Amino acid sequence: MSKYMIDKFMRAVEMSDAAVAAYVADPGAFLDEWLTEDAATDRPADDRRLTQAEHAAFAARDYEALYLLGAHPYLLWHFTEAVYSPEFGESFGWRDLVERYREAVRPHGVPDYVP
Amino acid sequence: MARLVMAAATPHNPLLWRAMTEPAPDDLAGVAANFALIRRAITELGVDVIVLIGTDHIRQFFLENVPAFIVGKAEHYHGTYENEVRTFGLEYGEVTGHRELADEITGREVLTEAIDFGISHEWRLDHGFMIPLQYLTPELDIPVVPIHVNATLPPLPSPRRFAVLGEHLRSTIENWESDARVAILTSGHMATDIGGPKQFHGSPDPDFDAEAVAWMRDGDLEAAIDGCRYERLMDAGNVTYQYVNVIAALAAMQGRGADLAEATPSRFASSPFFLWRAR
Repeated sequence: MSKYMIDKFMRAVEMSDAAVAAYVADPGAFLDEWLTEDAATDRPADDRRLTQAEHAAFAARDYEALYLLGAHPYLLWHFTEAVYSPEFGESFGWRDLVERYREAVRPHGVPDYVP
Repeated sequence: MARLVMAAATPHNPLLWRAMTEPAPDDLAGVAANFALIRRAITELGVDVIVLIGTDHIRQFFLENVPAFIVGKAEHYHGTYENEVRTFGLEYGEVTGHRELADEITGREVLTEAIDFGISHEWRLDHGFMIPLQYLTPELDIPVVPIHVNATLPPLPSPRRFAVLGEHLRSTIENWESDARVAILTSGHMATDIGGPKQFHGSPDPDFDAEAVAWMRDGDLEAAIDGCRYERLMDAGNVTYQYVNVIAALAAMQGRGADLAEATPSRFASSPFFLWRAR
């Protein structure tokens, strides 16, 4: 389990327009590049590792899996909103995503999301 | 000496920014009216410094460095973030700080007896701070001392610590050699869930909301502290802990019942509106 790194990656994507666009264009490639970025010499430890399940969840934009894996709910919702909103149109909008997300997480209660 | 002329609490729900058009939609008319009421109080009472207690939403303060209480000592603050402009349509803004009052609050050479405050000289304020300021002081023309309280990344400060914060702010203001007229504003939620199974469907816990309004209306500080246990608040919604900010306002007003105490319904969740005018 790498809850801290799950949260760190979601935040890195969601806070930047450029990162959202790059991740949506190719989630797996963006994730791999982020995981292998060299730590700069002026940064604290930056051990970018995810488990196989976490990696697969990000590659598939699978918010239900990330919820179960212990993603922070606040970060997860805004990450989800950011990476699905480019698909909003007449047949699928914000309220639809809210409903879809809620139905996905509801069966799982409240997982422990404290890293 | 300076005077604490009012305290108030408002929501900071950023979804209001696009939804609360003019005229306000029917379900948000109450929210708009209460923001206007508190805005008028700020004007009528001649407020010239605001202490704004809110919660950064994991924008500036992430898990690599989580303060419990942090006071802004900057001369100026940038307002909002790229993701908040994209997601909520918020507008960038510039806020003037108030270094002198920040120094009074934190202590200068030695930390205060009340709380071991962290300090920040470089802080971009997120919607938790900017939404109240944009609605209450649309010109962003009143200097602000922002205080972030951790309500999202456990371990969280206990509710009694918020009361201590409020008492400390009151005594600091009353002992500050200044003719400033100060308002304490707190920014928070009633029962609210974001990213959990109860989000964005009206209040997830109307019973909590009713109790939480009554504590402020009746001026029952001990009941508020006792009622804000972590498990109870998380059961009411995973960001409900941001309600606790208002305990600081109640304590600053010496536990007196609020002149306005309301959980105003909306399509998202109910919105906290509390107001105390100094007597």
